[in-house]
Amino acid sequence: MSAPGSDRPVVLQLTDATIKFGGLTAVNQVSFELFQGDLFGLIGPNGAGKTTCFNLITGVYRPTSGKIAYQGNSIGGLPPNKICKLGIARTFQNIRLFGALSAIENVMVGGHLRDPSSLLSALSYFPRAIHETARLREQARELLRIVNLEDVAEVRSRDLPYGKQRRLEIARAMATGCNLILLDEPAAGMNPFEKEDLVKVVRRIRDEYQKTVLLIEHDMKFVMNLCERIVVLDHGEEIAQGPPEAIRNNPKVIEAYLGEAV
Amino acid sequence: MNLPIRLGSFLAAALFCWGIQTWAMGSLPFNLQRLIALAGLYVVLAVSLNLINGITGQFSIGHAAFYQVGAYLAGYFSIHNFNPQGMPPWLWLILMMILGALGASLAGLVVGLPSLRLRGDYLAIVTLGFGEIIRIFVQNTKELGGSYALDKIPKIQSLWLIWGLAIVCIAVCRNLLKTAHGLSFLAVREDEVASSAMGVNVTKVKVMAFVLGSGFAGAAGALLAHWETSITPQTFSMDVSFIILTMVVLGGTGSITGSVLAALVLFYLPEYLRNVSAISGSTLVAVTLSVITAVAVMKRLVDHYHRPMKQRVIAYLATIVGSAILGVVLNIAFRGVESLAKASFTGDKLRLVIFATTLIILMLLRPQGIFAHHEFSWDWVRRLFRRPAPTPGATS
Repeated sequence: MSAPGSDRPVVLQLTDATIKFGGLTAVNQVSFELFQGDLFGLIGPNGAGKTTCFNLITGVYRPTSGKIAYQGNSIGGLPPNKICKLGIARTFQNIRLFGALSAIENVMVGGHLRDPSSLLSALSYFPRAIHETARLREQARELLRIVNLEDVAEVRSRDLPYGKQRRLEIARAMATGCNLILLDEPAAGMNPFEKEDLVKVVRRIRDEYQKTVLLIEHDMKFVMNLCERIVVLDHGEEIAQGPPEAIRNNPKVIEAYLGEAV
Repeated sequence: MNLPIRLGSFLAAALFCWGIQTWAMGSLPFNLQRLIALAGLYVVLAVSLNLINGITGQFSIGHAAFYQVGAYLAGYFSIHNFNPQGMPPWLWLILMMILGALGASLAGLVVGLPSLRLRGDYLAIVTLGFGEIIRIFVQNTKELGGSYALDKIPKIQSLWLIWGLAIVCIAVCRNLLKTAHGLSFLAVREDEVASSAMGVNVTKVKVMAFVLGSGFAGAAGALLAHWETSITPQTFSMDVSFIILTMVVLGGTGSITGSVLAALVLFYLPEYLRNVSAISGSTLVAVTLSVITAVAVMKRLVDHYHRPMKQRVIAYLATIVGSAILGVVLNIAFRGVESLAKASFTGDKLRLVIFATTLIILMLLRPQGIFAHHEFSWDWVRRLFRRPAPTPGATS
C-alpha cells in the first residue's frame, strides 16, 4: 500500500498489535511500518487508541497479541528502560518532566542511560563519573540549544511555561541517543507561532539528526504540513494509511474524524 | 578531578574525627560523650533515610529496623567471637560495622523488593510492618535477650569511628547528587513512568537506595551496640523510626544539609530541655500565649506578605519583639493569679511538650523543611554576602 520509503531500512514494524483491557480492545490488530527517516503521523479521534499504541511500542503495556519489532527484533514485552536503550524515546501527552529538576538536569537524565560510569564510581566521586557528568551536561546544553531553551537551562522545569516544557520534553527524549522518537501531541496547547517553531524543530530533528519521527497530533494543519505518511485509528482499529492527500480525501477518515470541511 | 581539594577534604575529615575524639574523650564527662556519640549516629540515620525518602522518594518509615538489625547482628556476633588479644579493638569495630551494614543491606533488599510494586502510603505501611516484625522477632528470641536486653557486648567506644561513619555517609550521598547517577535517583522520585521511559532502571535505583540507606543504618547500629554494651528492643521502637523521619522532613526532604542539621537539633533539643530550670505556672501561660500570637502572626506573614527580603525580615523581627513584650506583660499580669503563680513546672516535665510544639510550629511556618531542597555550598555562602543579581529567564 505504502510505496514511499521502502528503499530505506524498516525501523519499526507493528504486525497485528492488539491489547485488551478486560473486555475493551483498546488497540485491535494495528499494523504499520516505519522506515528510517520517516516523518510519520498517527491520528484519530479521542479514545482511538493512539496513546495506547505509543504505550505498546515503548513497553508501558505488553501487547495481548501481535508483534512489535524494532529494527527486526521483537520488543513486545520488554521493560520501558530496555526499549529506550535500544533507541526508542518518547514524549508524553500530559507533560511528565521531572518537576523539581532544572531544565538541563532533565535532559541529563535522558542522556544518563549511555553513561558508562558505574554507580560505585559515582558514590566515591571517581574521575570517571565526574567526567561523564560533565560530558552529559555539555551534551544537554547542546540539545537545549536545538530546542531554543539554552537561556532557561538552570530554571526548575516546573516553573517553565507550557510551550517550553513541551520542547524540553523533546530535548530530553533526544538526549537518550534514540533513533526513533515518538511525540505524543507535541503541539497541544501551543499558539500558532509556537506551532510553527515546533514544525521547524521536528523537521530539524529528522533532517539534521537523522531521527525517525512518529507523532500523534490533533491539529490537522500541523500534521498534514509535517508528516509524509499517516495512519488513522478509530476505536482501536486502523481505518486508513497513506500520504496526507490520500488521507484527506479518504471517505472513511472524513466520516470518523475529519468531518466534511477540511 | 581536583586532587588537592580531594586530599584537603580527606585531611579535614580526619582532623575533625581526631579532634572530636581527643577533645570529647579527654575532657568531657561520660554522659556528654554519649550524647555526642548518639548525635553522630542520628546524623547517619537521618542522612541515610534521606537517601531513601528524600532523594529517591520511597516513603519508608521503618528505618529503626535496619538500625536494629545491624545492632543485634554485630552485638551478637561480637559477644561470641570477640577476642581482645586478636586484633586492635577499632579494627574489630570496623569489621563489625561492615557485618552490621551487610546484614541490614540484606534486610533493605528484602524491603526494597516490595517497594518495586508499592507506592506512597502502601510502601509506608509495609516498611512500618517490617519494623515491627523485626522488633517483635527479637523480643521473642531468647538467644537475643528477648524483651530484656542483649548485654555483655564488648565495650568498644570510638567517637572517631562514629563521626567518621557520619562523614562517609554524608560524602556518599553528596557524591551521588553531584553526578548524573544522582539525577536518575531524583528522577525516580519525580516521575517513575517518565524516568523508565528515559531509560532509567527504576528497579535498580530503588533497590540500590534501600540497600545503601539500610546499610548505613546497620553500620550505625553496630557502633551503637558496642558503645552501649547492652541493647533492648525498646531502643529501636517505632518512635525512633518516627524521630528519624521527622528529622528528614524537618530538614527539608532531599536535602543532606537539612537532614544533618535537623538530626543535631532534634537530638539535642530534648536533652537540652532537661536542664531548663523550673518555671512558674504564670510564666508558662504567658509564654504559651505569646508563642501562639507570634506563630499566628508569623503564619499570616509567611503566607501573604510578599515583599522584598528586607521588609520581610523587619516584619518578622517586629512580630518576635512584639510577642515577647506581650509575654512579659502577661507574665506580670498573671502573677496576680495565686494558683498559677504557685504552680511550678520543670524542664524535664515540659521537654516533650516543647519538642512537639517546636515541630508543629516549624511545619506551620516552613512546611518545605528548614533547607527545603537546597544544599549548603560555599557558593551559597558567597551569594549571601553579595547583592542578589536578577536571575535571567526565570518566570514567576
